[in-house]
Amino acid sequence: MSDHEKGIAESGGLIRLADAASGNSPAESAPGLLFNPPIDIYETVDGLVLYADLPGVTAEDLDLQVQDKKLILFGRVARGQTAELVPIHQEYRTGDFLRSFILSDDVDHERIQARLTNGVLRIELPRAEKSKPRRIEVAQG
Amino acid sequence: MPVFRWRETRSLLPDLEREFERLLEGVGFHVAGRGSGRSFPLLNLLEDADSYVVTAELPGHEAKEIEVTIVSGYLSIRGNRRPPAEAEEESFRRRERFHGPWQRRIQLPDRILEEQLRADYVAGILRVTLPKAPSGQPRQIAVNEGP
Repeated sequence: MSDHEKGIAESGGLIRLADAASGNSPAESAPGLLFNPPIDIYETVDGLVLYADLPGVTAEDLDLQVQDKKLILFGRVARGQTAELVPIHQEYRTGDFLRSFILSDDVDHERIQARLTNGVLRIELPRAEKSKPRRIEVAQG
Repeated sequence: MPVFRWRETRSLLPDLEREFERLLEGVGFHVAGRGSGRSFPLLNLLEDADSYVVTAELPGHEAKEIEVTIVSGYLSIRGNRRPPAEAEEESFRRRERFHGPWQRRIQLPDRILEEQLRADYVAGILRVTLPKAPSGQPRQIAVNEGP
């Protein structure tokens, strides 16, 4: 990991891009191609919404995990649908999708919701309720 | 064990934005993302003995919003990918996905049976199947002699 990436990993934020491209990712063990899907992130009153383009991925083939503050999306694309065909002109190649993010404590991990529609994944990352000032009762005795 | 945890008072999101900017600069990646400078959607053209198949990566559409036409040997597809209605322009923290109207045209190498064109849209991938027209009998062209 470069110094540049360390800088990112160390500063605060609701969500951070993690090191999907480096280190112990499935990229090193899984055969075939692996792509970093394009994403959009926007803010709403409730938190953040993340969209990712995952063409060719269906809900059964999508693995979305939150583990130790890390949100990992891995989408497997069905192969072989054009296997018997001979390519004449090729602009894109087919591969799986992997991208990971680091969530801060300000995201309520329990309430994360995701939906995959027509090859687009939408993840809602609700902001955790801000801790309100709380008076601590001091018991006597 | 601490009873209070002091939260950072500065806004977290502007910070997030700066991180993204830095990251993007770092990898020489354009902020507008994959859509910029590249065609959308990306197409593949394939064939077998009976037909041509055009596939396109078109995530995020409704099938009925994709227009597929054939005009004089060209297959044309077009549509419009809109950003989510709820997303305000200034609320985006990261924007890599293509949005907006698009059109692609691809020249078909051979005659096809236009009326048998079939288009399927599954999991964000458009697949257009174009049966090849059977090659006709060789036709002798009479050459007329000039005056």
